[in-house]
Amino acid sequence: MSEARRLLRLLTSNALSLFGLLTTIIFVVLAVLEMVTLGAITPFNPYTTNFGAANLAPSFLHLFGTDFEGRDIFSQVIAALPVDIGISLAVVAVSVALGIVLGTLAGYLRGAFDEIIMRLTDMFLAFPQIVMSLAIAATLGPSLLNVTLSLIVVWWPAYVRLVRGAVLAVAAEDYVAVSKSLNSSFFYIVRKDALPNVLPSVLVYATTDIGAAMLTLSTLGYLNVGIPATLPELGKMVSSVTYSFFLYPTQVLIPALVVMLMVAGFSFLGEGLREALDVKLRPHILIRGRVLGKLEDPRMKGNPGQSPGPAG
Amino acid sequence: MIVFIISHVLSPNPALLWAGPKARPETIQAVAAEYHLNDPLLTQLYYYFQSLLTGNFGVDPQTGRTILSEVMFYGPNTLELVLASMVVIIVAGVGLGYVSGMHYGTKIDSGIRAFYLVTWSTPYYLGAIVSVLVFSSYIPIFPSGGNGSVGITYTPITGIFVLDALLEANWPALQSGLYHLVLPATTLALLSFGIVPRIMRSSILDTRWSTHVKAAQARGLEEGEVRRRHILRNALIDTTTVVATTFGWLFSGTIIVEQIFAWPGIGQFSYNAIISANYPVLVACVLVFTVGVIVANFIADIIYTVLDPRISLGEGG
Repeated sequence: MSEARRLLRLLTSNALSLFGLLTTIIFVVLAVLEMVTLGAITPFNPYTTNFGAANLAPSFLHLFGTDFEGRDIFSQVIAALPVDIGISLAVVAVSVALGIVLGTLAGYLRGAFDEIIMRLTDMFLAFPQIVMSLAIAATLGPSLLNVTLSLIVVWWPAYVRLVRGAVLAVAAEDYVAVSKSLNSSFFYIVRKDALPNVLPSVLVYATTDIGAAMLTLSTLGYLNVGIPATLPELGKMVSSVTYSFFLYPTQVLIPALVVMLMVAGFSFLGEGLREALDVKLRPHILIRGRVLGKLEDPRMKGNPGQSPGPAG
Repeated sequence: MIVFIISHVLSPNPALLWAGPKARPETIQAVAAEYHLNDPLLTQLYYYFQSLLTGNFGVDPQTGRTILSEVMFYGPNTLELVLASMVVIIVAGVGLGYVSGMHYGTKIDSGIRAFYLVTWSTPYYLGAIVSVLVFSSYIPIFPSGGNGSVGITYTPITGIFVLDALLEANWPALQSGLYHLVLPATTLALLSFGIVPRIMRSSILDTRWSTHVKAAQARGLEEGEVRRRHILRNALIDTTTVVATTFGWLFSGTIIVEQIFAWPGIGQFSYNAIISANYPVLVACVLVFTVGVIVANFIADIIYTVLDPRISLGEGG
């Protein structure tokens, strides 16, 4: 069984990771469709107000109902997907790139460069995430680029630390010393020895983190900071109707639940990936009652939860 | 320092921003003069650090009171909420993570994992609105807002309402305070704690099959003893760091949760500062939050050394 197929089987065997995989795929496909067709897949124009049809409950015509200005909530949700998913992906992608470059350099070069980078990340990590991006976004003013930037500023330090830690661990290995003694260049060692060891854990972390970025982004939207008035965003939809939530709870709950579903999708997927890639746990993973992979200890077969006991 | 860069360097025209978009030119000039915004950056930096060290954040342009006195009023309320949430996080997070790890691969494990992943994925605004809707509107067992101090006479000692009531043995006040505290604190805690049971669970999984645990079992130690001394204690070391990082999320969460629960704390104070573009107040709030996170990390370092005798502070270890 190839590694990719084994991974897929592990992911689909567990209800939680399967849910994560499916939710993620569905929402990403919807967002891409919405972008490619330039909004043709929404049943109504998400911006057209119709005061005659305001505050409608969900029905077959308006799947999620309408808001206080008679706009179709389902169409608004679909229109907001590319914004929410796109910004979160961009934030995490840029942070991963920054993390790999700065983290590898810091972990490999050590010395003054390492010291400067680490103290910088210390400074940035001292701020509560939402508070910091809130302050930046509020200062820069509302625009797509500014809100992305404000999130990146908060997001990159974690990745630098993650990559640096992993590179430090790899650099201490004997095979890197051997590679060095064979006169390998810095880039060769990074490409052949460091990155393959570092990337899986970074990608797993990043998968879960897309959800976290989305949470913070929608919170900024909810606070009406950073996201321009013309742009649809799920958190912003919630805040625009917050004051009527005792009267029309669906208007608040539906966009918020969509955020929750997406974030849960990404974090279930990330959690599933982490367990699937963890070699230490492999002997204990059960698929339909059978243990996957080779067992070191035959006494634990089929009963991984029990210790073999002192008699063994 | 970063706060200074954000508030003074990044923005093209801070005086305009601080005075508001509709301000008249003379108002902008007055604001610029009052907050030294026309001076060279280095001079501004000097004034900024001076105000930091003396705690003099200036005067709130909306209420006319000093920002320091407002922070001293709202701060303890937020501290009350955050500390109460912390208790819930430690008890629920460590407990759930432990149970989940010890029942690895069973239905209990999946259930607990689903629960903490779902609460972690819930945006603060959704969680807070749902808990208000459910527990004070549909099933009215808890009040929907406030910290319970309205209409009750007490003398503030620490500013933390529940603590003051306790110190004065003012039982009706204590009852009202706790009654108002339960819902927002639990909501804030459950929405922020996701990572605690998660790390707890994975470090339980790391330790429970490790050689030192096997050795302890082989020596014939009782199962309860092994769990307490060898599994739980090891797992708690990793968890402590993570508990400290959740402080960041808790402070972030207060901005939303306090607003929805009408809790008179720094979170609501900064939310109002944001929506009314009250920058002097926002800068002070960001600073207060940051100091809170730094103090929390410091306390975590101390707990660390108690739990893990191999780590010592200040010896380069």
